[in-house]
Formats: sequence, C-alpha cells, structure tokens
Amino acid sequence: MNNNENNTLEASNGFSPGGDPGKNGGVKIVAFLCNWCSYAGADAAGTSRLRQPENIRIIRLPCSGRVNPLFIIKAFNQGADGVLVSGCHPNDCHYSEGNFYARRRLEFLKEFLPFIGIDKRRFSYQWVSASEAQKWQNVVINFVKRIEDVHAK
Amino acid sequence: MTVEDKLKEKINEIIDDLDLLVGYSASELPLKVNPVFIKNREDVKNLVFNKLCINNLATYIYNLSKKIKGTAGIVLKPCDASSVIQLLSEGLLDREKTRMIVAGCSGVFDYKKIQKHLGGQKIISLELENGNLEVGTINKKNTLKAADFYADKCYWCQIYNKPPLYDDFIENDQEPGIQPADKYADLEIIESKSIEEIMNYWDGQFSRCIRCYACRNVCPLEICQDRCITNLDEPYWQSQRINTQEGKFFQMIRVMHLAGRCTECGECERACPKNIPLAKLMKKSAQIVERLFDYKAGQEIDKKPPFLTFKDVEQNIKEENLS
Repeated sequence: MNNNENNTLEASNGFSPGGDPGKNGGVKIVAFLCNWCSYAGADAAGTSRLRQPENIRIIRLPCSGRVNPLFIIKAFNQGADGVLVSGCHPNDCHYSEGNFYARRRLEFLKEFLPFIGIDKRRFSYQWVSASEAQKWQNVVINFVKRIEDVHAK
Repeated sequence: MTVEDKLKEKINEIIDDLDLLVGYSASELPLKVNPVFIKNREDVKNLVFNKLCINNLATYIYNLSKKIKGTAGIVLKPCDASSVIQLLSEGLLDREKTRMIVAGCSGVFDYKKIQKHLGGQKIISLELENGNLEVGTINKKNTLKAADFYADKCYWCQIYNKPPLYDDFIENDQEPGIQPADKYADLEIIESKSIEEIMNYWDGQFSRCIRCYACRNVCPLEICQDRCITNLDEPYWQSQRINTQEGKFFQMIRVMHLAGRCTECGECERACPKNIPLAKLMKKSAQIVERLFDYKAGQEIDKKPPFLTFKDVEQNIKEENLS
C-alpha cells in the first residue's frame, strides 16, 4: 500500500533525475503513442490481459508525426531511462503521411544521440497497429529488457 | 587587378539597380572587417574584400528582404552563397529580389586562431607576405605561417572559386594554396570515446555556456530570432536558468531546427564568446543527413529539404524490430 502511494506521487510529480527508481528494477520509460494505432494496440493488450512490465508511462498523441524530436531529448534530460515512440505502420497513418515524416526525424535523432553522449539503445521507434496487442507486449518486454541492460552497466 | 578592385568595378555598374548593398568595409581592428550597408555610389569605395572577410553576410539577407521593397544586393563568398541558396530553396527569400554578388575566395583567416596563438596579446597590425603573416603586437613583430591560420571550413572547401549559384561572379586568380584536411577527423576523435566520456566532454563544454544566443542570432538560417521556442512561456520548453543542462538543451533545439538546413558556415562557433565547439554538432548533423537522405544543404535550389518530404521506402533507414 505504502509502496503504491509513493509511486503515484512520483508519477504525478514527473521524473526526478537520479531519483528513486521505484519498483520492478526501476527503469523509467516514456512512451509516445499515436492515438489511432499504437494507443489502441496498447489498450487492446491491456483488455486481453497480456502481462507487461510496469515501467512504461504512456503519453498519447494524435499522430507519431506530432512527436517533436525535442520531446525525446527533454524526456532524457529530465531523467527518463528510455524513450519509446510508436505509431501506425507506414502507409497506414490515419493522416496518410504523418508517420513518414516522423520516421525521417526520429531516425535522424537516433543517429545523433550517441554524439551527445546518450546511448542509442535508450531510444526506439516502432510501428504497432491497433490489432497488434501481442506485438505491443513483445515490444514492451524487449524494450524494458534492453533498457535494464543499458542501465545495469 | 585584385578581386577587390574587380568587385568594386562590378558594383559600380550595378549599384543603381539595387536598393541596398551589403558588403564588407575596413575596420579599426586589424584582424576584422565590418559589414557595411551601401545605398549610394559614393560609398562603394569603402568596400573591401580580402582574407579577413570571414563573416557570413547572408545573416542579414532574410531580415533585409522583409524591410526593403526593391532588390537587395549582397556580397558573398562561395561558401556563404550556399546559405542564400538554402534560404531560397525553402522559399524564405524571393529570387527576384536577391542579387548574389559572389567573389571568388582564396581562404579566410580565423582571427580567433591568431589571437589564441599569441596568447591574447593586443594585436596592432597584420600583413600577409609570401605566405607568412606578419602580426604586430605592442612590443614585437611575430611571423606566423599563414597556412595554419585559415578558418576550419577552408581546409575542406571545394567551391572557393566555383559557387553553385550566382548573379554576378568575380573570379579570384589567387589560388588558396591550402593543404586539404580531413573534414571529419575531429568527429572521429569524439566518437572513439565511450558514451560516458562523450557525455562528460559535452557537459564540460556546455558548463561554460551563458545562453547569450549569439550562435542563434548570427546564424543565417535561424530566421526565428526572438520568436525562438526557448523564449516562450507557452509552450514552456526551457527555463531562464543558466546551467549545463539548459545550455545543452538549447543547442539541441538548434541542431534539430537546423538539421538538413545548416550549410556549415561555422558562424555559430565564431560568434561564441565561450569558444564552445558548436560547429562539431552541426558537422555531425550534416553528415547524418547526407548519409540518410543523400542531401547536402545549400547546393540546389529545386531540391526539397529532407524533413519537408519523404519516400515510401527509405533506402538508408534500417528500422529495428523489437517484437
């Protein structure tokens, strides 16, 4: 009970750099999900009771094209251990081309991060559609595992 | 006839067509030249063009184009011309209202390097003789090898006498005679370090940042100026605090807003009062853009900047699959 209260408090205050990592081995991951595919996919994973690690904090956005690369840098700056961006598969975007623009920006950012001293593996972007609850579970499990590896070093 | 005389002659011919001309004029400081804005024929004699013209005058052209009705003329080195080309390709300038007067260049000296070499002594005179720089300080005359003191960008310049686009071109007979260097050598030094060392390196550099925004204001492509997101309360991107993290984040704003646009003129690094190696960030970003999207900023007017377009299948992007 106590533990839970602490967690809610922490979550509402945002992420504190170098703060208490909380439970579950403690990595903190911010996920930016598009409203139409990945958020629905994550929701479906929840309703079909697929177990996933609890390290992910989801932020819902209208489209993966809404993701400003600076969101990700800001999340890292404020103490996130990992950032995940997920949207519709290419050619499936609700706004027809948002994820194509996103792909270019995010790939650029991914290549640039190591140059300023942020491990490339701490960031990833994935395409998960609304029906791919199973895929979402795998993505979360694998990504959390990867972040834990990076964190442990 | 030197390139400076030819430039003045050319400008005398065309000055009546222009509303305003931006050029270089002599300064009281021996290592610098000043930008000058000319409207009348009488002032053309004040123009200079020499190896000290390191400033990128393209910085002024966007704001000027908003203020004047007619044509704005601008004196450019071939490398500066690419900044104007980039602005044109993004539709930020009117081609009809911009007259690019490009003068061939034989390399420009970086006054910061000369000052650093002399340990910050006051410099009172500068002359170039037979490939040597005669630099006079208060009590001594120093002879320096000119080839060591060019601006960084001159060591890998390919276009010193062939600008990609121009209205008037003044050829420079003088060969630069600079030994070409590896453009990415300094990036490789950084990248060979471990990720923590890289983080510490940049933290050390940005601990000096005072957020004066000189890098932003001098940049020819950062036309946002005071409407920059760093100055906004809503949305709130950055606090006014001055510390390493904020300085670094501000620089990341610049990198993201200049990705695929930066023409690597090196003005940000030159303007930085704290000597933070900003050009390295820009060089890295340009390198990535070139590799991923096969795009080099400031080369062609008709090519769309990489982040304003996309392809169905991106050949150079390998997406990772975590599932």
